[in-house]
Amino acid sequence: MKIYFKSLAMHLKGELEYRVNFILSFLSQILVFFTYYFIIIALFAKFDNIKGFTMYEVLLCFSIIQFGFSMNEVFARGVDRFDRLIIRGDFDRLLLRPRNIILQVLCSDGDFVKSARVIQAIIVMIVALLHLHIEWNIMRVITLLLMLLSACIIFFGIFLLAASYCFYTVQGLEVRNVFTDGGKHMAQYPIGVFSKGFVLFFTFIIPYAFVNYYPLLYFLGKKDTIIYGLSPLLVIIYLLPCIIVFHLGMKRYSSVGS
Amino acid sequence: MSFIEVKQISKTFRVAKKKSGLKEAFKSFLKREYLDIKAVDDISFSIEKGEIVGYIGPNGAGKSTTIKILSGILNPDSGECKIAGMTPWKERVKYVKKIGVVFGQKSQLWWDIPAEDTFDLLRDIYEIPEEEYLSTKNDLIEKLNLKDIINIPVRQLSLGQRMRCEIAASLLHSPEILFLDEPTIGLDAVSKQLVRDFIKKLNKEKQTTIILTTHDMSDITTLAKRIILIGKGKVLYDGSLKKLKNMYETETYISIKTKDSLNIKKKGIISKKKNKEGYDLVINTKLISISELLTVLSHRISIEDIEILEEPIDKMIVRLYEDYQI
Repeated sequence: MKIYFKSLAMHLKGELEYRVNFILSFLSQILVFFTYYFIIIALFAKFDNIKGFTMYEVLLCFSIIQFGFSMNEVFARGVDRFDRLIIRGDFDRLLLRPRNIILQVLCSDGDFVKSARVIQAIIVMIVALLHLHIEWNIMRVITLLLMLLSACIIFFGIFLLAASYCFYTVQGLEVRNVFTDGGKHMAQYPIGVFSKGFVLFFTFIIPYAFVNYYPLLYFLGKKDTIIYGLSPLLVIIYLLPCIIVFHLGMKRYSSVGS
Repeated sequence: MSFIEVKQISKTFRVAKKKSGLKEAFKSFLKREYLDIKAVDDISFSIEKGEIVGYIGPNGAGKSTTIKILSGILNPDSGECKIAGMTPWKERVKYVKKIGVVFGQKSQLWWDIPAEDTFDLLRDIYEIPEEEYLSTKNDLIEKLNLKDIINIPVRQLSLGQRMRCEIAASLLHSPEILFLDEPTIGLDAVSKQLVRDFIKKLNKEKQTTIILTTHDMSDITTLAKRIILIGKGKVLYDGSLKKLKNMYETETYISIKTKDSLNIKKKGIISKKKNKEGYDLVINTKLISISELLTVLSHRISIEDIEILEEPIDKMIVRLYEDYQI
């Protein structure tokens, strides 16, 4: 863990070498990503709810997913940009070090400009929470924290799957974006607003529903069962196959080469 | 048993056949044809502790693949390999603590920050005790003359300076074996000399076993007593450089300064060329010795000056490759 934070500090040091670039990128990140939120606000200027969800409820959902995604962009950038590691041949170097490979991949890159998005997501979340009339209690706080945590975990798992794809081919990387970026855009809305097939897919194949739908229902008081509130914990199980797939890919790499 | 023991290692890569033309591109899109390339074919050798071995061969001979197998990055299709009692690709974490690898063409230093920061991070990665780390580091700084460059962001360093830092980075954990993959590529004469001297010293003082691949034959002549020559994935020669020289180095260049004109035909003289001041001769020393030739010459002409050159080792290697048809 110490190595991880040290590497991050070094990436930050490297990024800060280019000061003007860092500041400008940071600002542009904030500006560009507010447009995403404006789209939602514009949408709700026309309709006052989508399948029973109000604007602030959707914004809450949206900001939680953004939070999880951006946290990964900052802290797991190495997994996100794993294709570069393979293409440049730097992955060989990681295999020469006496440490866990996934940890080293995490250490290999960081992108602190993207922390602008994390901050932004937190701001939007707070605004949304202030406008929603939540009856706060301990369970609701736990549920909210679990949602944030599981959002980070699920995107980490998906990034890891996408990275594993690089072991097989570095061509056609767009395919993986369907699941990372595409998935993110879907998940920004409460999954329930989509048709049943989507709900099933995002419950059992990529369990976004456990991040931002079932717990959201509990959090907003639309469902009372505590299971709904604790459902984000299931996402942790999802991480397991992702790690296994990555290790299978690694085995293949060492027998096939580039 | 030797320190490094490689037995009948083979590795085949599958490469998709690519043909030119759009039509062929469509065809291969629908049905791929594969070509099996034997990168390493039944290679065996053993190396004792403290040896420096030059691992040479033309591009694509299988040098890098072998290095990758020996360092545990790749696992071979068949064959055995025991290094310091371990199989590299099976006990990766334990094994890589004992080796250092320098890739001349790939950097392991962080581009935007000073090399010293990378060193500190490596200390944590290899879990080197602080005391040991400091003494190793200071030793390397002194021997590789890094004092003034260690605090400059790596991107601002010259190639020679960077290579010295690279070598230091690979040695912080005091490995028993050092793999050097083209360590002097692109370096100027001074840097090359510095790197070579350092490698020699390291081998002498710490008994580090060194496996060196290079295309620069003067690296080999100054460093390695033993060479392993591979071509098309097979070991073609394994032995001392001296013996190889004796086998192959039969051409000698002699340049004579004289005002007289020389008319000589003798077995063993391969070519004779007139230049401004005299003649350039190429002789085969197996057929005519230098002293023999000189006796003959001094009877016929008055020699003002004479220069004798051995065949450059690069040329010898070219002939060697030709003989083995690689």
